[in-house]
Amino acid sequence: MIQKIVSKNFNIENSHTLEVAKKNGAYQSIDRAFTLKPTDIEIEISKSGLRGKGGGGASAGAKWCLVSVTNEKSYLIVNADESEPGTFKDRQIMQYDPHLLIEGIILTCYAIHSHDAYIYVRGEYKFFADRLNEAIKEAYEDGILGQNVKDFGYRMDITVHRGAGAYICGEKSALVESLEGNRGHPRLKPHEPSPEYYFGKPALVNNVETIASVPFIINEGADAYKAFGTEKSPGTLLFGMSGHINNPGIYEMAFGESMQDFIDKIGGGIKNGKKLKAVIPGGASTPVLNAEEVKLAKLDYESMKEIGSALGTGGMIIMDEDTCMVGALKNLLSFYHHESCGQCTPCREGTAWVDGIIENILNNKGKEDDIDLLSDISKTMNGKTICVFAPAVSMVIDGFILRFRNEFETYIAKSKEAVDV
Amino acid sequence: MSEMVSINVDGNRIQADKGALLLPTLLKNGIMVPHFCYHDALGPDGNCRMCMVAIEGQKRPQIACDTLVKKDMVVSTKNESINDVKRKILELELLSHPVDCPICDQAGECSLQDYYMEFGLNEARRPKEEKKLKNKKLDIGKNIILDQERCVLCARCTRFTQEITHTNELAIIGRGNDARVSTVPGQEMQTPYAMNIIDLCPVGALTSKDFRFKQRVWFMHSSKGVCHGCAKGCNIYIDHNQEKYKSDTIFRYRPRINNRVNGHFICDEGRLSYKDENNERLSGFYQHNKLISEERAMTHLLHCLTTLHPLLIVSPSLSLEELTVIQVLSQRFNLEVHAFAQGYQDESFEDDWLRSKDRSSNLASVKKLDIKTSKDALIRALECTGLVINFNHRSFLNTKLQDQAILVNKKEIHFASHSFDNCKHKELLIPISSYSENEGTLINEDGVLQRYEAGLCNEKKSLLQILHELISTPATPKEVWDKHLNEVFGFGYEDIGPEGKQL
Repeated sequence: MIQKIVSKNFNIENSHTLEVAKKNGAYQSIDRAFTLKPTDIEIEISKSGLRGKGGGGASAGAKWCLVSVTNEKSYLIVNADESEPGTFKDRQIMQYDPHLLIEGIILTCYAIHSHDAYIYVRGEYKFFADRLNEAIKEAYEDGILGQNVKDFGYRMDITVHRGAGAYICGEKSALVESLEGNRGHPRLKPHEPSPEYYFGKPALVNNVETIASVPFIINEGADAYKAFGTEKSPGTLLFGMSGHINNPGIYEMAFGESMQDFIDKIGGGIKNGKKLKAVIPGGASTPVLNAEEVKLAKLDYESMKEIGSALGTGGMIIMDEDTCMVGALKNLLSFYHHESCGQCTPCREGTAWVDGIIENILNNKGKEDDIDLLSDISKTMNGKTICVFAPAVSMVIDGFILRFRNEFETYIAKSKEAVDV
Repeated sequence: MSEMVSINVDGNRIQADKGALLLPTLLKNGIMVPHFCYHDALGPDGNCRMCMVAIEGQKRPQIACDTLVKKDMVVSTKNESINDVKRKILELELLSHPVDCPICDQAGECSLQDYYMEFGLNEARRPKEEKKLKNKKLDIGKNIILDQERCVLCARCTRFTQEITHTNELAIIGRGNDARVSTVPGQEMQTPYAMNIIDLCPVGALTSKDFRFKQRVWFMHSSKGVCHGCAKGCNIYIDHNQEKYKSDTIFRYRPRINNRVNGHFICDEGRLSYKDENNERLSGFYQHNKLISEERAMTHLLHCLTTLHPLLIVSPSLSLEELTVIQVLSQRFNLEVHAFAQGYQDESFEDDWLRSKDRSSNLASVKKLDIKTSKDALIRALECTGLVINFNHRSFLNTKLQDQAILVNKKEIHFASHSFDNCKHKELLIPISSYSENEGTLINEDGVLQRYEAGLCNEKKSLLQILHELISTPATPKEVWDKHLNEVFGFGYEDIGPEGKQL
């Protein structure tokens, strides 16, 4: 099941150093890339069907095209603000193969005619930011970065920027705002398809793993990449597992594998021989699946959508039979309550309200119509805000209520008893 | 040139600019769409989510403030489902609102209150004990009181300091429902335009320390005035009320939109200049500290005019019509008119926006009428006369200003709206009504001729009225225009539109 493309060097000792990385093939694609025209690289990426790996799964080629057609000075911004609960894949790349990311950045920048790249690393990732900076320093010293990349006459500079610890800065427009020095608020969506704008100049914002997938495609060709995965979800993804599982961790697999197999064969089954109750499939913001649905689930964007959830980042949270789903939802809603940027009314007030309601239910103060109230608030939060934060919260709530309504009802019945006594 | 297209709104066809924002288009056509964050002067921000409309072909409701007008688009602003959306979002706005309308100064002009009455009317679904508490009655300087609990976080005030004044004095701090408007801790607002955020605030979060608790807004009458604080001539609403047993009193000035002059805003000093207009008003005719009858005063005035050959000094803040009539008077009795006005100049007041160093409001009219303004000419003229008639020239009345010294050893007759040092001891004192009580026109420093309307009703005669009774000059600005000014300007008093006329 395991297919190592991005993670091929993860287990090599000192893989993060330039010396070891070079021994294992780092920066070879650069030599090839600079013999090509920038558009050739863009076409190759479009042909490969590479999809953004930050959670949304949008076509990378189409996004690149929006920037390159502007013919203006442009920027590449690498989104390393990995804050989605249950997701811990980008940090692996930064920790074990930072040179792969740098290589990807050089290729991407060449394709979109950009000479400046920023890596926006979440504030808490100090270790990883330091490691990136060490790798970048090595690359500068080796002439891979700087005024004249590998003597190809191309200037390339990379700057690492650490965020201040806001989940919302993983949203690309909020990230750009934050990088500009403003408060990390998502921007109003443009009326026509358009790139992000960094200080008024077009900018490409891509996830770490997306960029790290580029060198393989340039080295081996689009067809080699498409050989993995499904037709619509080609390639591989760094899937993650955490929670009540015997072998938690990050595993690279092609799209389209069975979720149940992944849990049983690679994850080693549920901890302490317990039964599986639920899986949050791709970071906290995707609707939860129950054990029945997990059996049917295939790990690609289309299949996951079909069964009423989303692949997201592929970071799965595994929950065993003893998990309190009301408590689990409370945990998630506390997070969203804390992380809502507070810009749009439905999200600002809605996340706080639903968090309060769940807290009441947990504290035996629930009321009979609380579940309907939750659904109603969730409906108001869905599709009425600038970014997809509130719709994600809405989907999380709906997912829990749809699949585990009885647990909420049990709590509320207990509250009623408590009042009656 | 923008293209006009036809769109369908709630079954009616309206004409609109293609590519314009939908919300202002709807508002301009009198279609009420609730909104907090959108403001004509600030544009859309998209945060309040109140202006939701249904657009045919779109799966979800859209915010009108960030939707562009397209040809033949079909918009629905008030079907049941869109009303439900608005009701639910309004419910969220009100979730932690203290609902303290009875003690809130904004009551009566509060968007939150209006929208709730229009389509909210919901029961509270969250116990009041769970409301999020924030800070109240924070004095953030410049006469502004901030109540964070009433705030809907529309960011109009913060955007004003960021985008309009570029002073960045306000920001929203905190995330989620902990977000709140704040100054930099320990610092106060500094900008001389700060109080505009009180008008921008659609709710009672920002109120005026000066106006708070003085008057319920629904008791007040508004008249369309022009600020007389400097030569810019910003358009204002004069909000006034005559309480029982009291004289008609101004409670506040508010900016009135005129894109040709001041846009949406006025400066704080102009806004607070209503106090000078209210205070120290004169009543009664005085001669050498003796109260005399109007008849006797008029007789004495006429006597002086005919026999003593006085010099006339006019204030550069008089209206164009008043200046015109005084000129007629001067010609009738063959007198000289002067408007030397050094005392009205204040370099420190000037900025590059709405504040002019010329603190008189109508110097352009003085020049238009060729009234002399030089100091030398005035001093020469003074040497030939023993009597000066002053028409409300402030800096000749104020002993602190240097202009006053010029009048030493002269007899003085004053037409004055407000009292000044020793005013009752002069040869003659004639009280007149002031600009908030009269109508008239002014020409501002940029050559815009503007009309202002009479607001307050206090029983004082206007300068025009007094001169009319004395020497039968026209009694109203309209008559002054018909008789003297139509020919000069080539148009009539009524042709001056609401945005004035650029000369």
